[in-house]
Amino acid sequence: MILEIDNVELYFKNKAILNGIYLKAETGKVTGILGSNGCGKSCLLQIVFGSLKPKYKLVRIDNKPILKPLYQTGWVKFLPQHALIPKNLSFKHVFKLYEVNWQEFVATFEEFMGCEVYKSKHLSGGQVRLIETYITLKSESKIVLLDEPFSHLAPLHIEKIIDLIEEEKVKKAIIITDHFYNNIIEVSDDIYLFKNGASKFINHLLELEDYKYLSQGSLT
Amino acid sequence: MQKLLTILAFYKPFVIWSFLVNIAITIVNPYIVPAIVTKLMLTIFVWYFVNETNAKRKLIFYNNLGISSIRLFSVMFLIDIFITIGYLILIKEYI
Repeated sequence: MILEIDNVELYFKNKAILNGIYLKAETGKVTGILGSNGCGKSCLLQIVFGSLKPKYKLVRIDNKPILKPLYQTGWVKFLPQHALIPKNLSFKHVFKLYEVNWQEFVATFEEFMGCEVYKSKHLSGGQVRLIETYITLKSESKIVLLDEPFSHLAPLHIEKIIDLIEEEKVKKAIIITDHFYNNIIEVSDDIYLFKNGASKFINHLLELEDYKYLSQGSLT
Repeated sequence: MQKLLTILAFYKPFVIWSFLVNIAITIVNPYIVPAIVTKLMLTIFVWYFVNETNAKRKLIFYNNLGISSIRLFSVMFLIDIFITIGYLILIKEYI
């Protein structure tokens, strides 16, 4: 399955945020988005998902335009930058709704043993973020959108999430963005850089320095 | 079934508020049609409030399960009306 998005024009109070975007993601690949703060990375994920309406956009799946919000197809799961899980639901309830196996989760993350009946207010921000990332990745879907999945996570958990992404990408198209650029570079098969409202496909990592996303010598 | 369970989970925090409104309706005007109109106005207000504020973010959890905000609120309204009518029929037996 190939997901493409182009012709995106997004304005906030006459200020152009996105105006020259083309992005392609496909099953079996992780597509990374890099860019400085406020360049529109999160907005693009919301536009793809269908929760943010830009002035123009064209989302295609296998060359067919998708006219309704993508989430209404049931093919996509989105991990937003902010909290995903409602505070009033127990993790047991959340895993049931997302049809994800809790036992498999605790087999990978043993420290969560016995936390099934807890709600998100009972755990730290990092622990909740880990659970949110896990259910987004493991729940049934064709497309996964991850907005800052590594925020607040311990290094060991980041490694496990990267392994999980590698595992899930076999059957899903994954689009990911984060400020931890080393992790994005490590996990991504394709990388786009967002700058001045437009996307640039990165053929060689040194281009990230040329486009002044990273300082010279960062990658050596 | 899974979607109905999800909508019920969304409705859960509104149950107490809905019950308080039912008590107010019982005191002021305990008839079914005014109760439905009142609940409809309140649902539209909550839907508008959620859509126009940062509370909209909270809907992504439900959108991920393929449920649009309009479906979420309309089914929640129907569930609430069903409970409200049941409550009013029951309470009228004692008035």
